[in-house]
Amino acid sequence: MSAASATVEHATCLGCGCTCDDIAVVVRDDRIAEARNACPLGAAWFGDGTVPGEVRARGASVSLDAALDAAAALLAGARRPLVQLAPDISCETQRAALAIADRLHALADGVTSSTAAGGVLAAQRRGRAGATLGEIRNRADLVLFWGVDPARRYPRFTTRYAPDPPGLFVPEGRAGRTVAGVDVGEAAAPPEAEPRVRLEDGEELDALTALRTLLAERTPSSSADALAKRVAPLAERLRGARYAVVVYDGESSVPGDTRRAEGVIALVQQLNARTRAALCTLRAGGNRSGAEAVMTWQTGFPMCVDFSRGTPRYRPDDGAAAWLRSGEVDALLVVGDARAAPVLPADDVPRVIIGPRASTATPAPAVAIDTGVAGIHDGGTAYRMDDVPLPLRPSVPGPRSALDVVGALAERVRRARGERGA
Amino acid sequence: MSRLRITGGEVYDPANGVDGEVRDICIEDGRVVASIPDDAPRLDARGLVVMPGGIDIHAHVAASSVNGARRMLPEERVRDLAAAPELEDGPGRSGSGGTVPSTFTTGYRYAGLGYTTVFDAAVAPVSARDTHAQFDDTPIIDAGCFILMGNDEYLLRQIAAGERERARDYAAWLLGAAGGYAIKIVNPGGVELWKRNVREIRSIDDEVGHAGVTPRAVLETLADAADALRLPHPVHIHCNNLGVPGNVATTLDSMRAVEGRRAHFTHLQFHSYAGERGKAWSSAARQVIEVVNENRNLTADVGQVMFGPATTLTADGAVEYLLHASTGRKWLNVDVELETGCGVVPYEYRERAAVSALQWVIGLELFLLSADPWRVVLSTDHPNGGSFASYPELIRLLMDRAYRDERLKRVNQTMLAGSALADGIAREYTLGEIAIITRAGPARQLGLAHKGHLGPGADADVTIYTPNADRAVMFSTPRYVLKGGVVVVEEGQLRRAPATRRLHVRPAFDDAVTRDLRRWFDRYGTVSFDNYPVAPLRDPPVAEGA
Repeated sequence: MSAASATVEHATCLGCGCTCDDIAVVVRDDRIAEARNACPLGAAWFGDGTVPGEVRARGASVSLDAALDAAAALLAGARRPLVQLAPDISCETQRAALAIADRLHALADGVTSSTAAGGVLAAQRRGRAGATLGEIRNRADLVLFWGVDPARRYPRFTTRYAPDPPGLFVPEGRAGRTVAGVDVGEAAAPPEAEPRVRLEDGEELDALTALRTLLAERTPSSSADALAKRVAPLAERLRGARYAVVVYDGESSVPGDTRRAEGVIALVQQLNARTRAALCTLRAGGNRSGAEAVMTWQTGFPMCVDFSRGTPRYRPDDGAAAWLRSGEVDALLVVGDARAAPVLPADDVPRVIIGPRASTATPAPAVAIDTGVAGIHDGGTAYRMDDVPLPLRPSVPGPRSALDVVGALAERVRRARGERGA
Repeated sequence: MSRLRITGGEVYDPANGVDGEVRDICIEDGRVVASIPDDAPRLDARGLVVMPGGIDIHAHVAASSVNGARRMLPEERVRDLAAAPELEDGPGRSGSGGTVPSTFTTGYRYAGLGYTTVFDAAVAPVSARDTHAQFDDTPIIDAGCFILMGNDEYLLRQIAAGERERARDYAAWLLGAAGGYAIKIVNPGGVELWKRNVREIRSIDDEVGHAGVTPRAVLETLADAADALRLPHPVHIHCNNLGVPGNVATTLDSMRAVEGRRAHFTHLQFHSYAGERGKAWSSAARQVIEVVNENRNLTADVGQVMFGPATTLTADGAVEYLLHASTGRKWLNVDVELETGCGVVPYEYRERAAVSALQWVIGLELFLLSADPWRVVLSTDHPNGGSFASYPELIRLLMDRAYRDERLKRVNQTMLAGSALADGIAREYTLGEIAIITRAGPARQLGLAHKGHLGPGADADVTIYTPNADRAVMFSTPRYVLKGGVVVVEEGQLRRAPATRRLHVRPAFDDAVTRDLRRWFDRYGTVSFDNYPVAPLRDPPVAEGA
């Protein structure tokens, strides 16, 4: 290719769940020279667009055919395979990978169960009152950051969604909004937040209860009285808001603990009795929201699915990490960037990795097939943290596409199992 | 060339004036044709009832709201898991059911009932990509979607500025960008008001956020747009004040407001209540259906309530808040991107509950007092009034007066005073009329020339039933279902899952609107204008602008 530079406009970044789709990717000599508009996290995610393009079996280079045959034999012969949807693949690839899990009667999971299950499970108990990010940008007059400053993990959240940009109903932008904050232990709200409440870690759930009590205009119990006094100014501001948004970090959940997420959900739902309010759950990148959406429409459940009896059983108390720990898994197929998959157990579980940088996994997987990264080399669709779907605009040529490889694997698995073709 | 002759069946093809005559249906390459050679393969339908494949004009099966409902309600699906069917043309897929099944299970179960075409009635344009992906994973049935516009802030602003042509151009652009089939209005202006914490609309002349913009203006503008764009389906209207006692006034006003235009009023049952909030409710079915009967510009679907579990799921966010507040059940709300809203609450219609019983009665009254089955067709607003799985039971209620009267005795009578049904309605739908309200009528309302009938040129979507005096049994287990000439179901067993088709339109518009939209997106959008339209759909549009 020539040395001329080209720019891919409106590229979508999967560096975090903000999924900004206004990136101008400048390409020179098939390398990304610049990702304009991207934050540092996004720029790092794009990098220069180079990824390995290896195909390996037990560490040795092999042909793609040989790798696919080995992968199919391994998976078709397994008693308890696990298929994991890891980050940086498109929804199209996720759909194809889940089809393999269904055929194999495998266990299937994304990464949500390891990092953000609390919010998902809490929403299954209570629902949630939310909004898409555009609604928040255009309408929110109060933004309450609950134990999170988006600056580090979601760098453009504040400038792209809220509180900074002008919105249709908040033409003054930042000046037209109150930014409130709750610090929970070390998890601090943005420095500018005012009013602000500082909580010890152990006080969080009680503070949520106290807020709800105040908003319901009930009298707090005397033991909660002191805490109620501290959160009272915040309750007052929430009550007075036209459209309040509570932002919290969905990736910070403690496995098995839904109380915090439930408390925040209940608070926002209750606010809607008087005014309008929305919960904004920050989610990490790599199209993990897409994996939840795809699992939900294909199986009915967003994570932790066990196909072993031929139907998609929902096992929300387990999930990939627990299944790997338990020793029941005898073959693992990771589709996506395995670096973000849960910590792997004993090395004796044979692994097939299909995804970006698969060949760099250590110890060497049974089969590793490097693919492009969704949004850099591969096209397709990815979901923003608010489930808004966005197209991906690949900017540089990469190794084989993940979708093609997964499709080819599906065919081999069928053959290995002696089934009819599609 | 693939051919099949369906021989000797009792054919109900109302669009072609065929009402139970014994005749052959000839199929060649997926279409019905006038004749095929005598030596073509045959399917013996002697003693069986032959109809076109069913068409669901209004259901919620593949929107973001539907996936939100699935996600929130695992408990109703863990009890209804479905194994992958053994298919002859490729691997089947497992799934889960309940009132909001997974996509594969949705396709299989619709086909299992003899339905071959389904429309998702409420898609937020920003999420249309999600709907098309879900459709891609919904086997067997052809599908399309209606695009939510009645609370779209850009549209409301065009109306406020008196720019009705611009509004029409926008509607046309939006349909193409979203790969949609029809314009959908939900609670015109009321969803935008809900976002502004205004929870009540008294009349269709209330202002909704902008000077001069009223539900009436929204109805007029979009009904005009659908007519001017010659869309195959008219504007599809969910009125203000759904589920509110006394809403009959709004409903009738809305029908008058679209006088002289085509319009489809959806799930009429939820909009046919007399009475007052906090006081007694009663049926206003007769008033509403009389207006529909008299005005040939109007079509409707009923939105029957069926006893049992349901999932209420709508762009009408305010309604769902009220349901959550009154039932205490879990609640999903999503305010969507200056476009629309979304709410979900699980619900159960109970025979012994006064309001459920009234709703059940009103739906049946609408069916039984309808003068024209072509214009008033079957729906449960799946999954709002009940699952599509309850259609066979609903057909039995319409066809079997003795059964209906027996059921009526068991329901709560508190609110039934003065109800036409309680006073006794003798009407029983005939098989021909059932074929109209489940096939030929929806096809005509949707402007689908190739569906809902069995004349030459029609898609060979055919359902063949074994006659049974128990109509619920008859309609729940077709003997055969053919999709595009391929046998997909045989005696309740799924056999094949052939490729599906997406039904969409691509009306023409003045490109000036896109220049203005670019500015709007730059200022207020969080998705780039260039990233907003869905990827071009594989199937050609059903209707295209010049």
